Amino acid sequence: MHQNKKFSVINPSKMCQPMGAVQALLGVNDTMPLIHGSQGCGTYMRFQLTRHFREPIEVASTSMSEKTVIYGGEFNLMKALKNVTEKQSPSIIAVTSSCLTETIGEDMEGIIEKFKEANLDQDLPIIIPISTPSYVESHVEGYNRTIKALVEHLAVKSVGNEKINIITGNISPADVREVKNILSDLNCENIILTDTSKNLDAPLSESALDLYKDGTTIEEIEDTANSLGTIALSKHMDSAAIYLEKQFGVKSISGPLPLGIENTDKFIGSVCKLGELEVPETIKRDRGRLIDAMVDAHSYNYHRKVAIFGDPDFVSGMTRFTCEMGMIPSVVCTGTKSKRFIEDIQIISDEKKVSPVILAGGDLYDMHREIKEVGADILVGNSYGASMAKEEDIPLFRVGFPIFDRLGAQRIFTLGYKGGINFVDQLTNTMLDYYYDEAGYEVSGDESEETIFEGYFAGEEV
Amino acid sequence: MEPIIETFESRKKHMCIKGEGISLPVCDKASLPGTVTQRTCVYGGARIVLMPITDSIHLVHGPIGCAACTWDIRGSKSSRGDLYKKGCSTDLKEKDIVFGGEKKLFETVIELNKIYHPGAIFVYATCVSGIIGDDIKAVCKKSEEITGCRVIPVQSEGYQDHNKTKGHWIGGDALLDYVIGTREPEKTTPFDINIVGEFNVAGDLWGIKPLIEEMGINIISTLTGDSHVDEIAQAHRAKLNIVQCQKSSNYVAKKMEKKYGIPFIKVNFFGLEQTVNSLRDIANFFKDPDMMEKTEKIIRSGLKEVEHKTDEYKKRLDGKTVALYVGGNKAWSLVRAFEELGMDVMMSGTKNGIKEDYERIKETVKDGTIIVDDANSTELARLLKKYRPNLLISGAKEKYISLKLGIPFCDFNHDRISAFAGFKGFESFAKEVDASVSSPVFELTRKGLGN
Repeated sequence: MHQNKKFSVINPSKMCQPMGAVQALLGVNDTMPLIHGSQGCGTYMRFQLTRHFREPIEVASTSMSEKTVIYGGEFNLMKALKNVTEKQSPSIIAVTSSCLTETIGEDMEGIIEKFKEANLDQDLPIIIPISTPSYVESHVEGYNRTIKALVEHLAVKSVGNEKINIITGNISPADVREVKNILSDLNCENIILTDTSKNLDAPLSESALDLYKDGTTIEEIEDTANSLGTIALSKHMDSAAIYLEKQFGVKSISGPLPLGIENTDKFIGSVCKLGELEVPETIKRDRGRLIDAMVDAHSYNYHRKVAIFGDPDFVSGMTRFTCEMGMIPSVVCTGTKSKRFIEDIQIISDEKKVSPVILAGGDLYDMHREIKEVGADILVGNSYGASMAKEEDIPLFRVGFPIFDRLGAQRIFTLGYKGGINFVDQLTNTMLDYYYDEAGYEVSGDESEETIFEGYFAGEEV
Repeated sequence: MEPIIETFESRKKHMCIKGEGISLPVCDKASLPGTVTQRTCVYGGARIVLMPITDSIHLVHGPIGCAACTWDIRGSKSSRGDLYKKGCSTDLKEKDIVFGGEKKLFETVIELNKIYHPGAIFVYATCVSGIIGDDIKAVCKKSEEITGCRVIPVQSEGYQDHNKTKGHWIGGDALLDYVIGTREPEKTTPFDINIVGEFNVAGDLWGIKPLIEEMGINIISTLTGDSHVDEIAQAHRAKLNIVQCQKSSNYVAKKMEKKYGIPFIKVNFFGLEQTVNSLRDIANFFKDPDMMEKTEKIIRSGLKEVEHKTDEYKKRLDGKTVALYVGGNKAWSLVRAFEELGMDVMMSGTKNGIKEDYERIKETVKDGTIIVDDANSTELARLLKKYRPNLLISGAKEKYISLKLGIPFCDFNHDRISAFAGFKGFESFAKEVDASVSSPVFELTRKGLGN
């Protein structure tokens, strides 16, 4: 059943650019994302996002129809801007394009200018167009372009602020919270692009239905031009950092995602260097605890094969982390075609003497085929891996997006030393649940106790 | 008169109260640009009705997003394999947009056929494949000739209409034009039927099928829950179509009546009374004394089986209010079932209703019920805040709007956990409604620290 294939995508491991754009915008204060396209784009994205975060998600649509496709979407976009301005009156309307409006060649910037001119007398929201054609690259690039667009439109040079900008990339609200905690432990003032920690993990309250009162503010985005530096946790989402460096001389650092010891060390190192800061005892203690957790767990994880899929920097970070734990990454897959990803994995492979199958631009069909070939004891990735894990009779450790078949996706927490401790404990316990019996002994295939007993009694009867 | 809720002037007429004035909301209009519409696109509509055909590959001809967000979303169950659950896409790229995607589509179809040997490959057109003018019909024809596999074009460009019902029709047309009538059944009986508009969500079909078969009826095919394409190909030989989801599937039933002379009756297996009526309606159609007798026996034993099983739930649910905001069909088909639980339907609305749907709702609900059309997320939140029902029945996107307001919610769409159709289904239905309405967690939502 599992053959090589060349043309089709079967069970995708990526989404389209507008999805990445919306993911980034959900961390911005008082902002309305508006997708210029067909109704389905907004609705299906909201469906994915809402079942993952278990929060209401607001994404408006210009609701393009056949007529507007023929005559252009100017009327719909103007009308949408007017309606959003009148009803929600957000601080920012972020207009993302779609495959439909890109293909018919909509001049979004022109239409937005026209809307502004027609409403000169009014106090309008800031309107930011973001070009996110769905047929180019993936959601990862959509996220990247959105952060860049925010910074391009808003960042203004004024007085130095001693802060560090962090482009988080698409990580869980709990992980954003952990990054903020680390920075606070380091006494490092910061601007998070973008801060989903409160917006997407909100207490039960009516106010969760309004536009976000938390998240990164316009003033913060303006101030990014005055920071000491920008760290993009994801190397694939560093365009805004590079822009700030070129435009305003704000130093830029790309990656790595602080997963495990070495990557978190690098991240802490980068922050300390930019901010000329000392590492406090609390962080050293957390680091020591992670190492302690890894040592406690080592015998259960040593040389277990792990297959990992998801966004490129998550996969490369997790590849390094699991190597540190003594595991063997056997297949690593990202849906995005990326040379940087391949390079990263090759560097890890050389350093750690492992040789995983690398799939860059692969789908879950390809991944499944490779797992059948080289084997895996555990799969790390999102809910779409569930059927593959079931078929191979291995556990799926759920991290990434989307996770819709378990609770608590917004609180999955793997970054930094503390997130690392959480990951090591939980992953190892999953191994214990799956591969060890109630007394803690390894259950090994045919020689399981049950079969031995069955054989014994059967023999006696004869 | 006080408006139902505050909203845009043009939207006010989309809401009304039964018993006041004409009692029909304005409907079937394009959503206002800039609102957070709960509606989807024509492609989504077509995919949702065809996807339950389990032995087929559903190939989306477009950029990755159209497939990536929709490949697993229908909770339709299968008794025979999971080919239909694969998320297949041609993943159109910039190059394809410029030079056309037909060649890529052709190669993809050939490749998928080689990998899976499916019963059929359904090829869905999307916004972009429509604009660049790919002739998917021609590609399907050519690849069908080469592979010998049914390759069926579904002309479902997303932007075609504001109403996804158009997509349901397009999905139906694909079956009418390319599948139904292309194969003869091995045997026929005087009591051959199709179950139309039953998608086997959470296994609903399996609560209905045994009852009908016990009546002595031969089910040729289901459109489309738990079906194989070759079964649907024989559907033209049925003597009767029974239609469960009338919103999506009256269209197909009407067309089959015109083309093949197959009459249809509307059925509803949600709730005991409706299940009983539906079984009797089917038996009355065939006017076979033996079948009528069997049917009464089935009804007696079905009712006996669930007798008193829902008493405990009913005690807690009595007098509680419920609001329905659904795709279409459930806005009327669930009303009686809730009334049987002693509950009071205070609002009913749909996202994509057309005039005949609202007439149906109006017939079913009692005076004073709010009827709403295409409520966007703000309007829905306002309705819930103002009228505070004890339960909202809706889909995944509405779930957390309701829960954040502390209003219990039950999913009746694709994320449903248990089957609700038929006699046994009614028990699960009562149990699940009770689990939502009566949970003590909702009391906590009304209490703050220190009061």
